[in-house]
Amino acid sequence: MTAAAPCITAISYALPGASSSVRELAAAGALESAPELLERFGFGRVCVAVTETPYDLALSAARALLEEHEIDPDSVDAVIYGGAPSTLAFATRDEAPTRARGLCGVARFHYPGTRLQYDLGLERASVLGVDQMACTTLFAAIRLARALCLAEGLERVLCVSSEFYPADAGREAITNCTSDAACAVLVSRSGDRNRIVASTTVTKGFFWRGDTMRDEVLASYFPTAVHVLRRTIAQAGWTPADVDWVVPHNVSAKSWEILMELAALPIARLYGDNIARIGHTLAGDNFINLRDGRDSGVITEGQKVVLFSYGYGAHWTGLALEV
Amino acid sequence: MTRGTRDGGGTRDEGRGTRDGLVLFVTGATGLVGRAVVARLLADPRVTRVFVLARDPLRLAPLVAADSRLVTVCGDLLLDELGIDVGSRGLLAREVTGVVHLAADTSFSQSLEDARAINVHGTRRLLELSAGWPRVARWLYASTAFVQGHRTGIVADDDGPGAGGWLNAYEQSKAEAEAIVRDQRDDWVIARPSTIVCDDLAGSITQVNAVHRALRLYFGGLAAMLPGTDASTLDVVTTEYVADGIARLALAPGVERQTFHLCAGAGAMPLDELLDVTHAAFGRSPAWRRKGIARPVRADLATYRVFERAVDDIASERVKCAVRSLGFFVPQLAYPKRFCTARTDALLGRGAPAVRDFWANMVAALAGSARDEVAA
Repeated sequence: MTAAAPCITAISYALPGASSSVRELAAAGALESAPELLERFGFGRVCVAVTETPYDLALSAARALLEEHEIDPDSVDAVIYGGAPSTLAFATRDEAPTRARGLCGVARFHYPGTRLQYDLGLERASVLGVDQMACTTLFAAIRLARALCLAEGLERVLCVSSEFYPADAGREAITNCTSDAACAVLVSRSGDRNRIVASTTVTKGFFWRGDTMRDEVLASYFPTAVHVLRRTIAQAGWTPADVDWVVPHNVSAKSWEILMELAALPIARLYGDNIARIGHTLAGDNFINLRDGRDSGVITEGQKVVLFSYGYGAHWTGLALEV
Repeated sequence: MTRGTRDGGGTRDEGRGTRDGLVLFVTGATGLVGRAVVARLLADPRVTRVFVLARDPLRLAPLVAADSRLVTVCGDLLLDELGIDVGSRGLLAREVTGVVHLAADTSFSQSLEDARAINVHGTRRLLELSAGWPRVARWLYASTAFVQGHRTGIVADDDGPGAGGWLNAYEQSKAEAEAIVRDQRDDWVIARPSTIVCDDLAGSITQVNAVHRALRLYFGGLAAMLPGTDASTLDVVTTEYVADGIARLALAPGVERQTFHLCAGAGAMPLDELLDVTHAAFGRSPAWRRKGIARPVRADLATYRVFERAVDDIASERVKCAVRSLGFFVPQLAYPKRFCTARTDALLGRGAPAVRDFWANMVAALAGSARDEVAA
């Protein structure tokens, strides 16, 4: 193992207290597709933040990370925050529409990243924000963190994302059932677990208005995803046969069935348990899954793991880790 | 009445002496290949007359005007005795020395019943009618290489149609028609052309078909994957080559009771190379390149079928229709086969042009027309 390679040394996440089944979401009018279809795609339950704000979840996830791993707040050099923006980060699902008006005033400068630094007492940490990356937000944060560790010699960077769906937004994104969740990931300049060995991102600006190009997005998804998976694996110096686990974003299990086959990765190596249990938390999926995979003992030390996510509609990203 | 056209009122050409030359009766002459075949037949000095069956003789009026040996006969393969009037039937019976049956319904997406209407029953009607033409010594049937359906591996000229099933009703109906022709004639010759994608090596496209429609989906960023294996190739040919081959088979001596592949054969292009070449050809346009449209990936057939079902579940009606139509022929790529062409090569004195000799030109021509359509 190379000594100075940045690593993911801690992961924690926070889910809201409430959850709903796909059938309950359908009955509440929160889905576009038939519940039977979404169940066929592997979805079961999703987590719904009713009383919690995105910031509440972010704080909870980040605090848990510091406490569980006994991280000295003074040892954190930077915070990179992504997810629900400024005022929306402090709104509950029902408050979101009215709080959104705050974006037109000075409340737009009420940033969750800076508040997180204060609330957690991360006095030495500078704060950065990541935006516009959709479900690849946390990948982008980790990419930046890794670069900061290598370029500026930072020791620890706390990456946090927190996403939610306002009350009227429904619970479906292109036939995927969505959850509210926050996830915190600590990137360290060196460590003995989850060494980052490769990172790949492809952005296709043509799809910037993905909602109006759904057919094109659907068609581009698989070939570009295969390309990113192959490139990530190759960049790590591995072959598909070397990969012990693919840790997915929690989108349709059917789409993963196709993607794994296209990438010459056996479907048995997909750690997909959380698709049914949690649904698609937008940015947090892969890291929540990695944490659960480690906690359950399914993903074990020394294994080679590839994480892949897609940010609707223009970003495809992959990460290779040696656990 | 078009000059040289037979209808109920007879023809001005009737009685012209033809007994010492070759007189051919051609169906499908209004089609792209048919026109090219007829032109080649007329270029042979041994051919003294070519009767062409046409539902609408006016479609051939310019050709008829240009060569008095060309005679249109009003008729339709869907009708008993092809709907040809008594007088014309008598003339054909007296004069025709060879039949060249090119007419076909080439739609891949139709039902078997509809495909059989022309391809099987129409062929049967022509066989019945021509059974009463005593001078006929050559009965050429233009089939398709893809009567082999799901067969994989090397396909010899004499291999019968695939017994493992077919991908679409077109393939099956052509296989059934072959069987009837073989059964009812002693002088049969069967030509099995591959899929035609352009006129010539320059890649000009006169007639848009299913392959072009599939490529347009790719151009439009709507093609995610193609079924195939490491061994998959695309066997396609030019109109020029197929027309040359059929015209030669219609006239060459000693080829009866033989089947000829008019295919790229060893010159078929590996699927992965074909996708690369296509991507590069489309990518000559900076505007297309900027969109970042991905090169489709190759999937095994099972995965492709899962993708088809997913599309059916979640895509727009436009894409569902497109993927359904692809499903009638694209899965053929997952049944890799190589057509032997030695017999045809020997007859023609050359092989078919290799696909890589015209594919990029054809794709560039197609991309140009697609851009023009968008601009318009």
